[in-house]
Amino acid sequence: MPMTDNSAGKIGAAPEGARARDRLALLTADNAAVPLPASVQAITAILLAALLIALPWLGLGYRFLSIAITTLYTAIGLYGLGLQFGQAGIMSVGHAALMGVGAYASAILSVQLDLGFWTSLPFAMALSAIVGGVIGLPTLRVGGQHYIIITFCFCALFVIVLTNGGTFTGSATGLDVGSVTPLPGINFDKLSNNYYLVLAALFLALAATHLIGISRYGRTLRAIRENEQLARSVGINVDLHKLGVLMVSGLFAGLAGVLQLYYLRHISPTLFGAFPSLYLALMVMLGGARYLYGPLIGAVIVNFLPEVLNLDPVDSRIAYGVCLLLVILLLPGGVGAGIKNIYCAIAGGSVTQGGGANGRA
Amino acid sequence: MDIFVQQLVNSLSVASVTILIGIGITLIFGLAGIVNFAHGEFLMVGGMATWFMAGAGMNFFVALVFAGLLVGALGFAAERCLFRFTLNRPMNGFIMSIGLSVILQHAVIRVFNEFQKSITDPVGLVWTIGGVDIIAMRAIVVAITVVIVAITYFGISRSRYGMALRASVSDRDTAELMGIPVRRYVTGVFIYGSLLAGIGGALMISLFPITPFTGSVIIIRGFAVSLIGGLGNVGGAVVGGLVLGLVDGLSAGYGYPEWTDAYSLVVMILILVLRPQGLLGGTLGPKAS
Repeated sequence: MPMTDNSAGKIGAAPEGARARDRLALLTADNAAVPLPASVQAITAILLAALLIALPWLGLGYRFLSIAITTLYTAIGLYGLGLQFGQAGIMSVGHAALMGVGAYASAILSVQLDLGFWTSLPFAMALSAIVGGVIGLPTLRVGGQHYIIITFCFCALFVIVLTNGGTFTGSATGLDVGSVTPLPGINFDKLSNNYYLVLAALFLALAATHLIGISRYGRTLRAIRENEQLARSVGINVDLHKLGVLMVSGLFAGLAGVLQLYYLRHISPTLFGAFPSLYLALMVMLGGARYLYGPLIGAVIVNFLPEVLNLDPVDSRIAYGVCLLLVILLLPGGVGAGIKNIYCAIAGGSVTQGGGANGRA
Repeated sequence: MDIFVQQLVNSLSVASVTILIGIGITLIFGLAGIVNFAHGEFLMVGGMATWFMAGAGMNFFVALVFAGLLVGALGFAAERCLFRFTLNRPMNGFIMSIGLSVILQHAVIRVFNEFQKSITDPVGLVWTIGGVDIIAMRAIVVAITVVIVAITYFGISRSRYGMALRASVSDRDTAELMGIPVRRYVTGVFIYGSLLAGIGGALMISLFPITPFTGSVIIIRGFAVSLIGGLGNVGGAVVGGLVLGLVDGLSAGYGYPEWTDAYSLVVMILILVLRPQGLLGGTLGPKAS
């Protein structure tokens, strides 16, 4: 990816008399590599967590909460995609199919073997991870765009297999499952409890993404993203790292898929086809794959925009498309980059400079 | 045997549309270095425009020309306003084309509706040759495709412009130093590929009904064809289109029709993994990033 982090030293350092053009460049730059101070990161995390936890008590209604659940499980899937694209630079437009592998694995286990949510979850996640790794094998041979086309083919193929799978996959009508097995004292049929279940999973995904981002593993992935040959020449096992991140991404996708399954209680092949996959790619680009909260921002924008603006589905899809074009042309780092840059512009010189490793907004 | 010959003719006409979109993609991806995911939507827009104009009483063949010009203009606008800015970042261009395809699809739904559209057979003749019934329109589709393929092939391989274009692909900087306006060539190839998509769409709607979602199905076949043949290789795209069209047509008649779409996908994944440069050779497309 040629989106180099070339502005590491510029952030927040606009001189007093900077021309308007320089200011604009500051706002649209991709500053994922520059860390914010730990205190700012912590405050952001706490505020966000508090908001998300308090959401069901704000009295926003059943419909709002339903959309919030959809947003959150989508965001979990997006964190997988964000890891593989943002950190390792491997884009996929077949990610919904990976979520589908998890969802269908769990549903089939439920129908055939009568396994519940908690027992089928590990199997579904493991299967998604394995499938993610297997589809990832071609990345070792072919580069960027060829791999994207392969993922799109895989996605289309997956839908055809599901549709022709007879009673085992429920064909075009799909499969039904029961509700989440209740934990002692917690019944997940209640919408707000289901929300907290998905929220807990989201926090796990966020924490995992953050830890990978600041770890040696994350740094190695970014080195591969920036220059694969150089990374290989200094002794990094590029193939293993690439497959590894795709499997982690598969784990996230499996988790998201199972949560989606038990929220909807019914799945069919169209949920995991080409269009949902394209929208996942769109959301992650919109939010900004390299920023900790980027995928979440992307999911919130895409899921809530039609609701807030009261758009019908056709108009809202046109709006997503236009947003995507604008973001790529004007703000290649995504909305996450924009928010971070605006914060830095306001905070001015108080932001520490330096080429630290973790790119977090 | 008669049935087999008829299946063959039908498959050839289906293959023609596939070849047209495949050539468009192979030129744009392989020579201009742009992966345009909205190319299938360009074809769909061409088909819809033809449907609209034919519905307004225009002769089909006049409508075909207008559809080609309209989609060519669309390609020009897309290249100037969007892809021009991402030539150095092909991945961003790819993502942007996904956005463009979503916009075009839903813009067509907004202007018309999401139901399938068809036109009556513009020629309405059936020729009987040696006991085989051939629908005249299908033969005309094949003939138009043959002419376009010939023009494109000789344009790329023999003409001055084709040579300059191939020079810009193999070494852009040197070509620019030799005075070739590379950027203008990129725009030109993009417009020409889009024009072919428009004509392909018009021909497609003369064969079978299309919906606003046809583009996203056909784009995969277009990529399959261009990758089988090798990017930038017009002859390869023809071979790829024939193979895919025949496999599809014959499997619909004899094999398992519900798996028809899967064949092209499997073929494509295998080729991408085993021979990324295509079966017949070609450029590798824009440098993988």
